[in-house]
Amino acid sequence: MNDEQTRTRFETLLLPLMKDAYNLSRWLMKNQEDAEDMVQESYLRAYRFFGSFHEGTNCRAWFLRIVRNTCYTALGAHDLKQKQVSLDSEVDEIEDTSPLPPVSLCQKATVEAVREAIAALPVDFREVVVLRELEGLSYKEISEVSGVPLGTVMSRLARARHQLYLILSDRKQHDQL
Amino acid sequence: MNCQECYGYIDAYIDNELDIASTILVKQHLRACFGCQQLLETRKAVGALLDNPQVRFEVPDSLFGRIQSALPVSRSEVNQRSRSRFVIPWFAIPFALAATIAVIFGLIFLNQGGVFDRSPRNALAQDVISSHVRSLLATHLLDVPSTDQHTVKPWFDGKLKFSPPVHDFAERGFRLTGGRLDYLNGREVAALVYQRRLHVINLFIWPSASGGTTAAESFSKDGYNVSHWVRDGFEFWAVSDVNAEDLRAFAGLEMQPS
Repeated sequence: MNDEQTRTRFETLLLPLMKDAYNLSRWLMKNQEDAEDMVQESYLRAYRFFGSFHEGTNCRAWFLRIVRNTCYTALGAHDLKQKQVSLDSEVDEIEDTSPLPPVSLCQKATVEAVREAIAALPVDFREVVVLRELEGLSYKEISEVSGVPLGTVMSRLARARHQLYLILSDRKQHDQL
Repeated sequence: MNCQECYGYIDAYIDNELDIASTILVKQHLRACFGCQQLLETRKAVGALLDNPQVRFEVPDSLFGRIQSALPVSRSEVNQRSRSRFVIPWFAIPFALAATIAVIFGLIFLNQGGVFDRSPRNALAQDVISSHVRSLLATHLLDVPSTDQHTVKPWFDGKLKFSPPVHDFAERGFRLTGGRLDYLNGREVAALVYQRRLHVINLFIWPSASGGTTAAESFSKDGYNVSHWVRDGFEFWAVSDVNAEDLRAFAGLEMQPS
């Protein structure tokens, strides 16, 4: 395969994924400018690693993993340190399984309110919510992108949704006041 | 199953990621436990709020061009720029000739192996995929956005010389979202757009030259799944990034619409 064919194949496979890449990057970086830079950097990295991409690999998971890692690198040691802390607490903290108050969420909660709630989550919870709810990835794909075992994907998703529920139902009570 | 275990399974249960045995256990527990039913409701409420396309961030228009120009030029272009630095010594010419001949024989050999298969069918499959990719890139997915097959079908009247069959399979998980005109295989064709969860399926339809009905033939190429069949004198090409099983299910529905 010559360079031109490689380039064409790269574009056919990866340019359609820009929507997903940008959305993930935007949620991880929390602002448009950084998000755009990270998507560009991810495409350049993917182009360099394209030789290691094999037919039959899940292309979306492969690329989103690059996007995710690029963002994490940029977020830097500070956030990674926080991540360590949350990983530890993941083991220690006992899940609160007591029945939740029967507050129904306002189905008309604004898009802004939902976005704020997701943005308020710690980065590894935010990541799993975005990959599952907004990108529609399977647990197995999320595990590939995030580089964590399936069990961790499940427990993070559970806790992330629980937190989202708490944030959004708080907001509802607040809005009623 | 107790509440603690149910708590651990409930998300996978909602997401259809649980094996059948555990699914049955969760269902049994839910029937008996009011607390966990409430948990399920809160999860569903959160899910409903997130299930809104507006929550996603849209790509800024400028980013597409920015990335295309940021990608490195191909290596052959780089070589052209620095060609003047290379001078071929005369004794290298026979070796170069020998190498060229070897490469030509190599290509012929590969071609027999079907590596450069440009048969009409393969070329058409490539066109179908390209058309699918373009429809997603150019935000020109739909000319007629409608989930109603009785709106989409008449829309094609007067725009095409044939009337494509249009069916909605929303209750089977393949929602019709609209249609558009497209150009394939040297002619105008109907493109129907279906949604499978977050994936888009393009279904291209035009009258078949040979007529009749054939079984669906499925394959994948460049990460896309493609399915092709002929029914009642129409050619059907379905292409998507959904998994092969889903696309086969879709082809099955289209081949026998009730």
